[in-house]
Parts: sequence; structure tokens; C-alpha cells
Amino acid sequence: MKVSAFRQYRALLRKDIVMELRTKEMVTSMGLYAMLVLIIYYVALSQAGQAFDVTRIAAGLLLLVVVFTSMLGLNRSLVHEQDQGQLEALLLAPVDRPIIFFAKATTNLLFLAIVEVIIVPFFLIFFVSGAVVPTGSTVAVSQSGPAWMTALALLIGSIGIAGVGTLLATMSVNTKGRDFILAVLFIPVMFPLLLVIVSALSAVLTGDAGYAQTFWKMCAIGAGYDAIMIAVAFALYEFILGV
Amino acid sequence: MPDTDGAAKGVGSVKRQLQVAIILAIVGGVLTTAAFLMAFTTARVQTFGTIDAPAAVETTYPPAPAAMQPTDGTGVRYQRPWLSQKIFYFHVPIAEASFLVFTLAAIFAVLFLVKRKQSYDTRSRIGMETTLVFTIGTMITGVMWTRASWLTNWSQLGREMLSEPRLATYTIMLVFVIAYFVLRNSVEDPERRAVYSAVFTIIAWIDAPISFFITRMVPSNHPIVFQSGMDTTNLIPFIIAQIGMLMLGYAIYALRVAEESSRDTLTVLKEQLEG
Amino acid sequence: MSERTAAAIQVTDLVRSFGARKALDGLSFQLPAGAFLSIFGPNGAGKTTLLRILATLTAPSKGTAQVFGYDVVKDSVELRRRIGIISHNPLLYPDLSAAENLAFFADLYCLENPQARIDELLSAVELKHRRYDLVRTFSRGMTQRLSIARALLPEPDVLFLDEPYSGLDPHASDILDGLIRSVRDRYTFVMVSHDLDKGLELASDVLILARGKKVLYQQTADLDREAFRTLYRETVGLGVS
Repeated sequence: MKVSAFRQYRALLRKDIVMELRTKEMVTSMGLYAMLVLIIYYVALSQAGQAFDVTRIAAGLLLLVVVFTSMLGLNRSLVHEQDQGQLEALLLAPVDRPIIFFAKATTNLLFLAIVEVIIVPFFLIFFVSGAVVPTGSTVAVSQSGPAWMTALALLIGSIGIAGVGTLLATMSVNTKGRDFILAVLFIPVMFPLLLVIVSALSAVLTGDAGYAQTFWKMCAIGAGYDAIMIAVAFALYEFILGV
Repeated sequence: MPDTDGAAKGVGSVKRQLQVAIILAIVGGVLTTAAFLMAFTTARVQTFGTIDAPAAVETTYPPAPAAMQPTDGTGVRYQRPWLSQKIFYFHVPIAEASFLVFTLAAIFAVLFLVKRKQSYDTRSRIGMETTLVFTIGTMITGVMWTRASWLTNWSQLGREMLSEPRLATYTIMLVFVIAYFVLRNSVEDPERRAVYSAVFTIIAWIDAPISFFITRMVPSNHPIVFQSGMDTTNLIPFIIAQIGMLMLGYAIYALRVAEESSRDTLTVLKEQLEG
Repeated sequence: MSERTAAAIQVTDLVRSFGARKALDGLSFQLPAGAFLSIFGPNGAGKTTLLRILATLTAPSKGTAQVFGYDVVKDSVELRRRIGIISHNPLLYPDLSAAENLAFFADLYCLENPQARIDELLSAVELKHRRYDLVRTFSRGMTQRLSIARALLPEPDVLFLDEPYSGLDPHASDILDGLIRSVRDRYTFVMVSHDLDKGLELASDVLILARGKKVLYQQTADLDREAFRTLYRETVGLGVS
């Protein structure tokens, strides 16, 4: 018997995906939650008036819904491994700990991406494409940059969220007050990435002159942050599983 | 009995720790006090003590003499209150001390993960406690400085706190330290608590070098201390204040460590007496 | 890999401590291959800690532990393929079917020809007819049987039983008993249990722990049952600290 890391990784992925296809628990709860946040945005902005240019704050709103939705999902995904001691069964198998980390981070990223694919078009249609340009009172033709840029910025953000989030959720799931602790740990760690992603998204969504330059610079910083944080999470994951 | 020997050795080492800490605290205290006195007496107020506003604003600062007003007639130049220069002799050293103890906490976090000795966890925790004290000190002196130097009001200050790179990363450092103690309180098993805390300290510490170097990497309103020239009457108290405050920072940390280890030694001795 | 020793489990001066608290305090014993060791002791005596160390889930602070010659720290990956654990927690995914659960673990252990092995085990635990049903729909006893199949999947050399009877009704408990008896000769067993009768019935060796220390280690063959019961009761009283 030879240990094949790839076979183990694939088995871990398949297990999470099959369970999700069966229960649809993560994607529905995250998707529904995201929809509710959009409804709250609608209420919050309902008195903003015709002259208010929503595209100026659209990036922030979009990131907000992604962050809150992802925290819900991260917490769920680890609770699944915990309630019948399944994580212990994984640790008893001859699996290298980093494989468990990468598999969990991958499925978290996958589910978050699925929810984003559903929710982001809704967001753009309701809040950005019909936005009024403050100079005139006509309905503006969407001035935003290409959609793939929005997607890229969100992807870089989501990779960081899934990577570091998986590490932090593995800790928080073993504490009193799981989801609260996750928020307390997650938001400060994510702060630099959120700042960078919001400015990349903002550049794309407002489509101001020279937005591409800001966009690429911010994406590069964001990608660097992802790389550092995932490397650190990778190195530290084993310690968390060891107690 | 070998166990009693160990405890006796423990008492001896606590004594030594305490001696070193007390000496450092005294020397650090004397140096900081000396720097304080020098800052308010011998240090000369430098010429950069003015600040421009785009228009007349409501402030308690006196306008600069007519000869110094901008020649093109736009905006108003105000004199910076002397506090903006005096506070700097403490703000910078306190911030440096906070980085020192934070780094100590991170080093002991790494050591703990490698060696799994509870005393390293205790040291790391005490490092974080001391970091909390010095971070709050930095924030308070920073607010005083900002109010005096940037003509900011409270709402502007709030915005700067999250948009100006140095202030933002430093504010996050404070949030990290608070989050650390929230995490500690929510884990019951002592070893698990120690491991989680150590892991989080290491992740949080990554923010420290970013905060330290960020003013040199991206455009920032925050002054870069070692690049602005200083004359000797300023430089001497500044250096003394730095040395003093770093000593004081370490001394506070070491005193707390000595306190905790004497408590541990006491527990061990008690248990031995009870059998 | 370390040199193989005759003993299945060799524990030498094992200490597991954190600060002043010692979960295990200098424990040593030796268990021959094919034996069945029952570990008794009050709560907090270090039973679970010992089991977790032997199962490579926690590392010892001092001392060594070897299972079939594999060191629990140095050879942990090789050792993991040789141990199976049956716990009061089923360690199964309720939203997967019986066959999917076993197939998942077969992949983790990288078994060759997993399908044949899974079929064989499902027949052995009499769950073949329910193989496509979700574990969620199983009774407590059926879940426990499936968790035995999971433990036996990689053909381990040693089985760890962590309070396997807790939460089982008498019927399920009898079935579990029968299953353990049927495979009794093929494996080395280490069981942690509060159930004195069950523990003594199956055991070839007994170990009583209190405060992380060995109170008694004896073979059941030369054990005075009554004296043992008295000693056990005294130890339980001792452990409440």
C-alpha cells in the first residue's frame, strides 16, 4: 500500500461535495443569507435619493456581503467535521495534515465561489448597473470596467478568505461561542486584504480614468497577501490539529 | 529529595529575574524622566512648527506671524502648539517599546509551539499584556500629537485611524491584542488555549513589521522619524527617551514574568507539602 | 523505523504534562501481541490520554511509547495504518451512505482493491442490505457496527476501544460483544471502559490508573476478582480530586 496524497485530497474533496449535493445546506444557507443582506442594503439605501451615486460605495457593499456570508459558511463547514468526531477519524488515518487543510480550504473556496456566482450578478443589476450619475439625472449606461475584473478581484479576496478562514474556523469551532470568536479573529487578520480588495473593486465598479492601473496594483498586493497568509496557515495548521 | 531541589532552584531564579527587572525599571524610569525634563527645558523648538489650512478654521492655535503667512494669499498658516513637538519624545519610544514586547510575545509563541513548555505560553501571554499597555499608550500620545499637529478634529481623526496606513495598521494591532485575550478566555483546556493563542500571536505579529515599515513604502501623512533631521538638543533627549522606554517596556514585562513564576513555584511547593 | 520488539505495546516512563498538571506520570508497561488490555480508572486518571498517545493523536511530553515497534512520534504515519479505533463517537459522516463512508476511508488509507474489502466488511457486520442508505437513518447499534467496519478497514494490527459500550442499548451491546469476540483472536486490543464486568470478561490483562500513575498491572489469569473489585472501588475514590 502506497500513500497517494492526491488520492486522499480527492477523496476529501469528493466527500464534502457529495454531502453538499445531498443536503445543499451550505450553499442554500449562505445564498439565502446573502440575499437577505441585499434586501437590507435596499432598505438602507431606499432614502438615499436620486442624486446619490451608489457606485461610489458599491465595492464596499459587495465586499461586506461576501465577508459576512463567508464567515457563516466557514463556521458551518468545520462544525460538520466536529459534531460526530469525524475530524478525529481523519487524524487517525495516515493523511498528512496539510492535505486536510488544503482540501477543506478548497471546498470552502468552491462553495463561496458558487454563492458569489449567484449573488454578485444580482448585486450588480440591482445596485450598480442602474445607478444614477451624480452630474446629470439620466439613468447612466454602466460605466464599470469589465466583469472579469470584478470576478478576479473577488477571486483573490475569496482565496484569502478561504485559506486563512479555514485555519481560524478550525480554532474557533473548538471554543465557546464559535461564530463570535471566528468574527473576532477573522476580521483583523483579513483587514489588509479587505482594504486592498475594496479598492480594486472600487476601481472597477466606478470605472474612473486610469482605473486599470489601481486595479492591477491592488490585485498584486492582494495576491501577495494571500500567498503569505496561506503559507503561514499551512505551517500552523498541524499545531491546531495536534491538541 | 530532588523535587525540593528543583523548587529551591526555582526560587533562586525568580529572585534573579526580579533583581534584573527592578534594576531595569529603575534605570529606565530615570532615563525617561531625564528625557522628559530635557524635552521641556533644553530641547529647542524647531522651525517646522507651522501648519497650513486651506482657509481660516476654528482652532485654538495662534496664526503664524504675518511675515510667515503664505505669499500667494491662499489659506492660512498656523503655529503648531509646542506640545506637538514635546509629545513626540514619548510617542515614538512608547510605540517602539510596544513593538519590542509584541515581538517578545511572538518569539515565545514560536518557542512554545516547538517546546510545549507552559512557561513559554505564560511569557507569550505576559508579552501580549504588556503590548496592550504600550499600544494604548501609543494611541493616546498619538491622538494628542495628531490633534496638535494635523489640525484634525475628532471625526477627521476617526477617518485617519482607518485610512492613513500607519494608523490603520497600528489600530489593527490593538484589535489583534484585544482579540487575543477574547480567544484565550473562550478556550477551556489549558494546552489547547496555549496552542491556539500561540498560533494567533504569530499570525497577528505579521502586522507588526507591516505597520513599522509601511510609512517607508507607501505615501503616508505619518512622519518618518529617522529621516527628518534633528539638532543635538532634540536628538539627545530623544535617544535617551528611546533607551529608557525600551528598558521600561522590558522591565514591566520581566516583572510580570517574575510575579507569575513565583506564583508557579509557590503552587509546586504547596503541592509538595501536601504530598 | 525502529527495531521491532516482541511486545505489541511497549510503554516506557510515559509522561504527559502541561505545566504542573500531569495527565500521565511515569507510566510503564508491556503488552504482548494478541492480548486484550482493559484499562480502568476514575475520570481524569489519564486513560483517554494514554489511548490518544498510543493512537498518535497527542504526543508524549517525556518517555516513549511503541506499538508493534513503531514509535508513536517518529513513525506516526506508518503506525496510523496499523491501528483502528472504535469509540463511543461513531466517527462517521451521517450524510454519506454506509458504502460511501467506507469508500472514503479506504481512499484515505489508500487501500488497493477497496470494493472487495468493503463488501467483505459490510457482510461481516450484517449491513450489506443497508449499504446504500445514509448513516443518518441508522439506529445507534447499526452505526456502531458500521464504525467497527470502518476500524477494521485497513486490516489493523491493534484495535483501540474507547468506551465502546456507552450509549448502546443492551441488544446493540450484545451484538457488539459478539463482534468483538468473533475477531478477538485476530487483533491486539486496548480497551478503556467504565464497565467493570465487560472489561474483565474480555481482558487478558488489566491496568488500573489513578492520577496518571499505574496502580495495578496484572494478567487476568492470576487475578483475584474480589480483591480486584475492592481495589478498583478504592482507586475510584482516590481519583476524585
